[in-house]
Amino acid sequence: MSTLEYHVMLALASGPLYGYALSETIASDSRGALSPRAGSLYRVIARLITAGLVNEAEPDEEPPPHPGHARRYYALTAAGRRALIAEARRLKQTAAAAEKRLGVVPGRP
Amino acid sequence: MSRVLTSLVRLFPRAFRERFGAGMRETIRHDWHQARCRGAGVSTWFAISTAFDLVRSAAAEHFNPTWAGRYEAPARRSGMRRLIDEWTRDLRHAVRALRRSPGFTLVTAGTLGLAIGANAGIFSVVDTVLLDPLPYAHADRLVHIAASAPGSDFPAEFGPSAEFLVHYKERSKLIEDVSTYNSFTSTLRTPDRVERIRMSQPTNSMFSTLGARPMLGRLPVDEDEERVFVLSHALWQSWFGGDSAVLGKTFDVLGGMRTVVGIMGPEFEFPGDGTMLWVSSRIRSEGITPGRFGQSLVARVVPGTTPEALARELNGLAAQLPERFGGSANYAKLIGQHRAVVRPLATQMLGSVSQALWVLFGAVGIVLLIACANVANLFLVRAEGRQREIAVRRAIGAARGQLIRLQLAEAGVIAVLAGGVAVLLAAMSLPALVRAAPPGIFRITEAGLNARMLGFTLLVAMVSALICGLYPAARASAPDLTRLREGGRGSTRTRRWVRDGLVVAQTALALVLLIGSGLLVRSFQALRDVDPGYDTENVFSFQIAPEGPHLRDGEAYARFDMDFMARLRALPGVEAVGLVENIPLNEGTVLVPFRTEATADAEAGKRLDFTFAAGDYFKAMGISVRSGQVFAATTLDPTRGTVVVSQLAANQLWPGRDAVGQRVQRAGDSTWFTVIGVVEDVLQDDFREAPRALVYFPLVGPTPGSWAITSPAYVIKTPRAETIAPEIRALVREVAPEAPMYRTYTMAQLEADSMVSLSFTMLTLGIASMLALVLGAVGLYGVLSYVVAERTREIGVRMALGARAEQVRRMVVAQGARVVGIGAIIGIVVALASTRLLGSMLFGVAALDWMTFAAMSLSLIAVGLLASYIPARRASAVPPMESLRGD
Repeated sequence: MSTLEYHVMLALASGPLYGYALSETIASDSRGALSPRAGSLYRVIARLITAGLVNEAEPDEEPPPHPGHARRYYALTAAGRRALIAEARRLKQTAAAAEKRLGVVPGRP
Repeated sequence: MSRVLTSLVRLFPRAFRERFGAGMRETIRHDWHQARCRGAGVSTWFAISTAFDLVRSAAAEHFNPTWAGRYEAPARRSGMRRLIDEWTRDLRHAVRALRRSPGFTLVTAGTLGLAIGANAGIFSVVDTVLLDPLPYAHADRLVHIAASAPGSDFPAEFGPSAEFLVHYKERSKLIEDVSTYNSFTSTLRTPDRVERIRMSQPTNSMFSTLGARPMLGRLPVDEDEERVFVLSHALWQSWFGGDSAVLGKTFDVLGGMRTVVGIMGPEFEFPGDGTMLWVSSRIRSEGITPGRFGQSLVARVVPGTTPEALARELNGLAAQLPERFGGSANYAKLIGQHRAVVRPLATQMLGSVSQALWVLFGAVGIVLLIACANVANLFLVRAEGRQREIAVRRAIGAARGQLIRLQLAEAGVIAVLAGGVAVLLAAMSLPALVRAAPPGIFRITEAGLNARMLGFTLLVAMVSALICGLYPAARASAPDLTRLREGGRGSTRTRRWVRDGLVVAQTALALVLLIGSGLLVRSFQALRDVDPGYDTENVFSFQIAPEGPHLRDGEAYARFDMDFMARLRALPGVEAVGLVENIPLNEGTVLVPFRTEATADAEAGKRLDFTFAAGDYFKAMGISVRSGQVFAATTLDPTRGTVVVSQLAANQLWPGRDAVGQRVQRAGDSTWFTVIGVVEDVLQDDFREAPRALVYFPLVGPTPGSWAITSPAYVIKTPRAETIAPEIRALVREVAPEAPMYRTYTMAQLEADSMVSLSFTMLTLGIASMLALVLGAVGLYGVLSYVVAERTREIGVRMALGARAEQVRRMVVAQGARVVGIGAIIGIVVALASTRLLGSMLFGVAALDWMTFAAMSLSLIAVGLLASYIPARRASAVPPMESLRGD
């Protein structure tokens, strides 16, 4: 799972989001480290949909009235949620292993 | 600027654009707006990086798409749809793979197609003749009722008499409707045609019992007495051109003028042997003379009645008969012994045919199993040849299920091809099968291509493909990846066991069929060797039905016959000419009680068959005279009543005494006839039966009551039996222009016809067993060839170390012999248990005839050894160096 894929799924973990709300959430989640551009972002979304980890969904709240196109909202599927949990565990373990091996106190850079 | 950036979205593939384009543009516009708010540097960087990202992503999406084809939300994409897509892909792949190996495709599809075609053909017949209910309303509730009298001198089973019908109809609580039925040949005369045809005179209740309605006109009613008749559709078409004006017309039929009142539809056929018309007859309950046996009864019973329950009720009813209808003491005694025989009408009408057809169906089923074993073996070998390919696929991540599916797809394609071959084969061979089938198989001509047969073929093809393909597919798709390392050679022990097991099964099944058909061949030989008491070579027979004002009585007919025979005798090449009322193998004789001067009671006496004979009948038929003399060849002696009796009749009437000179009287005729000679017994109906006692009457006796007014069969002894018919036809036109010739046969032809039921089964079973033998041998050959090819290196090493060619051959043949030997033992055991199924088809040979068992087992083993020897020779002929160099 690439970092961007992970962050897209992480962003969707709190609920369905549409395009630029998703990109903003990713930017804030990564504290500005990731600011995905539209092309990369949507390819990742497409790949996750194809893999069955993400699908289109109804938003949690009533969406604000919007002229023109209806916004597409994306959400995690059950499989996506499982994959995200597994990936988070893996990251945690590898991070812990790295910190232990490097002698770094957890939580301090 | 934002417009420039959003226009780059167009670089994406169309499908991707349609799905995500709007969202991308919105995101770009939003981000650009935010970047602009943070200053020119940020916005410039944003523009450049976004443009670069869009171009790079679009290119990547083109070469490595993340989004497939059309718009479809994954949640809504159904599993079924995906499955079909995958299968279509697999099928395409399979077709491509099979096209690359045409030999494999041809052999597997051909083998399966041949076997399935045979099954489809026999299925079509079985389906039409056995599985379809009889074409009558409530066919499942129709039963045939006969009588038996264990302990009496009556046959094991015989027809009840009229009083049974009356009593059953009135008193039975289980019978809804009941009727007599029969069929015989008699003369139908129209202004432009006269012929003896098959007709029937059942009671009128036959139509209501069977639930039959006429297509035109009406059915006979009791007020019609015996003055009307109903036409079959076939007769209406062939004699009257399908003209409904025939209704109400009167013709001479069954010796009287009768009116056509109705025409049956084309589907109505009863009793199912080509009966052309039905003469009316009502049930009379008064004035019945009890004991006139010989009727066949058909009844419709109330729902849920078993044959056993009905038989119990009828036994009770029959016991009341003497009290109600009177009759002699003998009759009362017989009724005391009477037991009703009840069986479903379908069983009665199909008789031994159903047994033969089921045996055939089983036989072609076995052939199919053998073919499946062969094809499964071929699939196994093919799969082993692809071990490497499959191991590579597995290694790069193909799921096992995917690989199985791929191989099953190949089996599926083969199944479709085989099904096509099968339908083609069945369609081409069915007409021949129907033509070769014995006559009198009810409705066999209706067998043909239909939806049920196509469905059956498809199903069998699919199931056999699954059987053939599933195991090899499952085995081959689970290879250990070590095969990659080994270079994909060698085969595992399990797989060899499976292959050997398949050959063992093939051998066993083929042997069962071989033994079965061997027994039938022996039966056929035994039947051919039977001495029927007459010659079947060089004898020609025919009938005519002359009429005219000069033919008033029996004497006139007799004179006509004698004159006609004199003309026949004058034809070139004719050695002897005679006539008989019922010629053997074609018409049955009639049972009547006979009494001798020692029998006091006129109604009692031995029941014997009788017929009429004249001219040189005994000489023409080659029936030898045991003692005394036979009728004069050229003269009639009406004043003295004389008869000739068969040896059995003489023994039964005058045991231990000379019959010549004794006197005998037939029930219903007061004339005493003197025996002038005793002749050899003849087989009247069938070579399987025991001969019956027979009394031959002359054409004319002393009183009009003993005259025969019949249309007899003329019998001509001549070496030109096959070719004399046209000359006789010319002669008939001269002496009796109004009478056509019919029932023209050679005795050789009648003999062949009488055995057609056996010869048909023998022939078809023989073909099936030969097919089984060849397929089995090919299977063995294939497996051994493969084993030899596989062991080439080992054999090379052996030979390099000094093994002689002969030893190598022996080694390979021994492997084949082991497999064939085990198969033969299993086959013998199965045959021991199953030849009983041939049952009544066998004649003069036991179902467990050891000679047949031994001969067939030995031939099978011989063929097996031959099939092993060819690969063995190939193995021993390989030069050691070459085999070591191999791959």
